[in-house]
Amino acid sequence: MRILVVEDDAEAATAMVRGLTEAGHEPTHAVDGAFGLLEAQKGGYDVYVVDRMMPRLDGIGMVETLRKDGDQTPVLFLSALGEVEDRVTGLNAGADDYLVKPYAFSELIARVEALSRRRESGSVATMLKVGDLEMNLIARTVHRAGKEIDLQPREFQLLEFLMRHAGQSVTRTMLLEKVWEYHFDPQTNVIDVHISRLRAKIDKGFDHAMLQTVRGAGYRLEP
Amino acid sequence: MKLPSLLRRTPFRLTLLFLALFAAAASAILAYVYFASASEARIKAERDVRGEMQVLTGIYKERGFDALNRALIDRTLQDNSFLYLLKNPDGSQVTGSLTDFPIAEMEENQQWITFPFTDTDAEGRVTRPQARGVQVRLAGGEMLLVGASLSDTEAYLARLTQALWTAMGIVLLLGLAGGVLVSRNLERAMGRLNKVVTAVQEGDLKARAVVRNSGDELDELGAGLNTMLDRLEASMASIRHAGDAIAHDLRSPLTRMRAKLEVALMDAEAGKIDGVDAVQLALDEADNLLKTFNTVLAIARLQAAAGRTPDPKVFDAADLAADMAELYEPASEDKGLEFSAEIERGLMIEGNQPFLAQALANIIDNAIKYTPTGGAVMLRARRRSSGEIEFSVTDTGPGVPEEDRERVIERFVRLDNSRTEAGSGLGLSLVGAVMEAHGGRILLDEGPGEYGGFGPGLRVALVLPAAE
Repeated sequence: MRILVVEDDAEAATAMVRGLTEAGHEPTHAVDGAFGLLEAQKGGYDVYVVDRMMPRLDGIGMVETLRKDGDQTPVLFLSALGEVEDRVTGLNAGADDYLVKPYAFSELIARVEALSRRRESGSVATMLKVGDLEMNLIARTVHRAGKEIDLQPREFQLLEFLMRHAGQSVTRTMLLEKVWEYHFDPQTNVIDVHISRLRAKIDKGFDHAMLQTVRGAGYRLEP
Repeated sequence: MKLPSLLRRTPFRLTLLFLALFAAAASAILAYVYFASASEARIKAERDVRGEMQVLTGIYKERGFDALNRALIDRTLQDNSFLYLLKNPDGSQVTGSLTDFPIAEMEENQQWITFPFTDTDAEGRVTRPQARGVQVRLAGGEMLLVGASLSDTEAYLARLTQALWTAMGIVLLLGLAGGVLVSRNLERAMGRLNKVVTAVQEGDLKARAVVRNSGDELDELGAGLNTMLDRLEASMASIRHAGDAIAHDLRSPLTRMRAKLEVALMDAEAGKIDGVDAVQLALDEADNLLKTFNTVLAIARLQAAAGRTPDPKVFDAADLAADMAELYEPASEDKGLEFSAEIERGLMIEGNQPFLAQALANIIDNAIKYTPTGGAVMLRARRRSSGEIEFSVTDTGPGVPEEDRERVIERFVRLDNSRTEAGSGLGLSLVGAVMEAHGGRILLDEGPGEYGGFGPGLRVALVLPAAE
């Protein structure tokens, strides 16, 4: 996956480029919003990772310009600001996701991968299929290896998100944000309990466990 | 106070302005009274003169010239207030108290005139007062003048003018004196306020204005200044406090992480564990540190916002409560606690939804943490009879003894340095900060009493104003 990293902090950028490369992506680095804009206009990127505060052209200005030009490439905003209003302005400017510094690298990778996947699944699917797990989005039913699995509405949403990002790590914060649509720190691992209930329903009694725990990151649904 | 500086003072300038306005108004009134009185006196004199003239021309018509002449002599001797002059058609004087006509050639047979005449006052001095009269040509060609002195009116007007000028002088003097006095008082009061401002500028946040509760504007200003300084001082203190808390909350986990890494390094070198475990350990600690850091930052920001809710939106608290119940129920049941929720519908509040979610999550989490297995946790959201919206979480844990509740609330409300365990209590401080920013309050109460061998339990309520 080709990723454009627009970040003025050289050290942070180097670490990010290295991390993304190790995760199997092709990152390119631009040192500020103006260079970022030039680079982005060349095209061919799957995701832009844009720092909000930069000299010359800041992240907001860059993303606004890109969106005006009709560039719909997913954007992940990075920011040292953590206020709710900041996230709102960031998302209003056209960013697709927002990550506050300092962040766990696993969180960054998970979100970048989730963003690129979102674009691929732009067409409206009525069925999701991962391995022998099948989800009917219209009838709202789930089957594994032909056996119907009864899910609560929230469990259904949780599984849908995991299936849409099958093969990718998703973090607990991402699940809380995307499935429950809340931005706060739940203190205890309430998400873990929901995951283990879901796991009990989709994995128990089957030959292999699909819902895996990724150490230091979160969870991943494997075929 | 020197005069030039006095002139620059607002109250004194205002005094001068009002005095000038008063002087202009007084002059206008004076002029009006003067001209009104003068014209009134002239009209009265004319009326008197006209009457006298009618009487005299009547005598002339009925009884002839000689009778008129006699009547004039009688009247002059009686020392009435009229002036008379009668002349033959050839111009020779017949009788009268005047020596000559004010006008020699009349345009008509009857003409009104104002003229000076020679008189003597009470002390025998010669004066030249004004008189108003009418000059008439009689049927036989004789000329008759009847006039009335205006000297009484003139004297009255002079006295009036003098009185008005004197009054104006007194008012101006008193006004000036009052202006200086008011200006000095105000100057003194302003000086006191300025002293406070200067002291604060120089870094003394403890300086306060003296407030006498007199209810005047300066007192109000002083009280306002004091409130502002209280707020500023509290906010400075909380920033300092937050700084201390950050140091405290980050130092212990950092120390712990360092120790764990050191031990892990030794263990790894000795081949007891592999390096990955050590790194994983370090990562977990780093994540905890980040969480702590974010919480402290959130508290500091909420407190710095000083009672204003960041990014407020109107939303249904019932939805929030339902989501929280749904989110926490599995964790609660995993711990062997009976979890229940009672949520009224349509509880609109205005606030920052993520922060309120965090506050509610923190007290639910606390209840789950401190309630022993076999107990129960209940979340309730309702509208109080006062119209306020209340979230409450009741548990069957050990509760908080009544005498300690105040202290616990305090711990909610401010960052507490006495904490020994990292993170403990910080969540409650965040709840306090969120409630403060939303104009809400925290209530602590006893739970349901003895329950499953524990009790009496704790009920924590967050009370918020309903959206308008």
